[in-house]
Order: sequence, then C-alpha cells, then structure tokens
Amino acid sequence: MKFDDKVPIYYQIKNYLYHEMMTGTLGPGDKLPAVRQLAVDLTVNVNTVQRALGEMITEGTIESQRGKGNFVTMDTNRITQLKEQLVIEQLERVYNELHALNLTDEQILTSLQTYIERRGQQHD
Amino acid sequence: MTNVLTIEQLSYKHNLKTILENVDLTLETGKIVGLLGENGAGKTTLMRLITGSAKGSGTITVCGDRAVAHQKSNVSFTEQLKGFRANTKIDRIVDFYRAVYPDFNGQRFEELVTFLQIDTSLRLGALSKGMKEKVVIALTLARQTHLYLLDEPFSGIDSMSRKRIISSIIKWKPDDATMIISDHYVSEIAPILDEIVVVKDHTIYTHRQSDEIREEFGLGIEAYYESLYEGGVNHD
Repeated sequence: MKFDDKVPIYYQIKNYLYHEMMTGTLGPGDKLPAVRQLAVDLTVNVNTVQRALGEMITEGTIESQRGKGNFVTMDTNRITQLKEQLVIEQLERVYNELHALNLTDEQILTSLQTYIERRGQQHD
Repeated sequence: MTNVLTIEQLSYKHNLKTILENVDLTLETGKIVGLLGENGAGKTTLMRLITGSAKGSGTITVCGDRAVAHQKSNVSFTEQLKGFRANTKIDRIVDFYRAVYPDFNGQRFEELVTFLQIDTSLRLGALSKGMKEKVVIALTLARQTHLYLLDEPFSGIDSMSRKRIISSIIKWKPDDATMIISDHYVSEIAPILDEIVVVKDHTIYTHRQSDEIREEFGLGIEAYYESLYEGGVNHD
C-alpha cells in the first residue's frame, strides 16, 4: 500500500482497514492479521499499527480478545454507523471544495446530479 | 516507557574542529528513529560515540549504564565491515560474530539470510553494494540487544533490495529494542519511522514524532526536513 506522507500514518491505516471492512474483505467477526504481519504487509511501524488498532478498539469498530487477537465487531449497527461516517467525510470534502469555488447549495446539487447522470451514460 | 539511550551535554572535537557540541538526546525503548542530516553533519560520529568506539566529553547512558563495556554489549552496530579483508568469506565473518558477541543468535541469522537471499559462501570483495548492505543488516539484526544502529543502509541500493531491507527491519526488530537509522534521504523510510532526530549546526536541531509533524504541519517528513534548511516551516 502506498501512503501519503503528508497525512498521519495511523490515520491512513485506519482508513485502509475501514475500506477492507466496507468492501467485505474483512467481514463482521473476522480476525485481523497479527500486528506485526499488518506492519509488514503495509510497510509501516508496529507502534503505528498498535495506535491505529487502539483507536479502533476504543471506537468499537474492532474488538480485542485477550490472547486471541483482534476481530471486526459483530455489531452491524456499529458498521452501518461507520459507513455513514465515511460517506459524510467524503461528502464534506467535496462540499467544501465546491463551496470554495463559489457554488451555491443548489448549484452543487445540480452539478452532482448532472455528473452522476453523465457517468451512468459512460458506463452503459 | 523506559529510556534506552540518554545523552547529556555531549561534545566531540576532531583535529580541533568541533563536530558535535552540547548534544542532549533521550530515546525511549521500542522505537524506530530516523537520524537525519546532511553529509558530514556528524551522524556517523554520533553513532560511533553511542557505541563507545569514539570518546567525547559529556555522558552517554545506554540502558541505564555508563560503562563503555556495557555500551558495546547493549548496542548492535556493524560499521560497513571495514575491519575485514576483501577475500574473507561471509561464513568466516559470521564465525567471528558468533565468537565475539554472546547475544549473536544463529537461528535469527539463518532466517535473515533466507529472507534477504544472501549467499554466505561468497567473499566480501565479490559482493555488490546492495548485497553487502544486506549482510550488514543480517549481522546487525542477528544480535539480540536493546539498541540497533544502521548507518545509511539505503545509499546506492536498488529499490527491490531496499524493500527487502525495510521488511526485515519491521520483522526482526524486537518490540523492546530501539533502532536508529541514519539517512540523508528520508522519503522511502518515512512510513516506518516513529520519530526523527535532525543533526544540524553541530547539535540535535530537532527531535519530533513523525505523525506529529504530519498532523501539525500537514507536511511529509521529507518536506519538513527540507524546510529546516530553508529557514523555518511555512504555515499555510
């Protein structure tokens, strides 16, 4: 995995794992790779992986079982919540960028709609 | 968190020329630390002082001990295999390490040799730059100690070897050991560094956590490091 050096690595590790969870590569109740294995796979520091996992345990997206490892939460509500949070983060980014270009809310909606329609046509 | 290394008021002169002055540095256990600075800034000198191979004024404490003998047993540093002749076989160097360092772990070494694809029957003079560096890494990491020093392990090395070396560091650095990696080009190792120490103007100019730099300045480690030489960080 390629990291953006301008963004804290622990944050990017979390996003990577969220992505795995959203796409179903890591399903509810699945065991995560061991910390050192994750560090090797992602070419990052073991401590940074620990920090990312620590935050995910605190926020309840993964659960730590003593002596067994870390598992994706079985709480589907929590996963739905996470998905909403990720969607909002992306929307917020786009919204702010478009606002910075002096678009009104209405214009943003229209542009987004047009964009989706055009994309749909391209894919047909 | 305990400290693996404490340096207080360290100064070092060579031929009346100041190399390092009033160096204070404390490193915690379990970290990977990037030692950055221009060529000739004093990075290698600092490493040699930490191992006890060079003597300056001030105090260096490794694992709570100031005696030079303890410094040597608690620090693993392979200085470019300079002491061995070109026709020495790698196997012979390994025998030497086994004899000299009680903490040299043969099984760890074998694992590293396999992972780094080293042919130990070769002679030192026959090794490419990348292969020589791999031998240095394997010898350094095969010892089981508290502080590992790697002096510019990536200079002039192809990208495949570099990736292998970085993976071997992540795999084999013990959790309770700290590793210092010096380099003047940081971007390829930036993701594995917990913190960076910059040697500039004969002293420790900066010592910060990598993710803190990214969070606080929105800068990559390389860009932050370069900004130190351009007169301050731009806040934009």
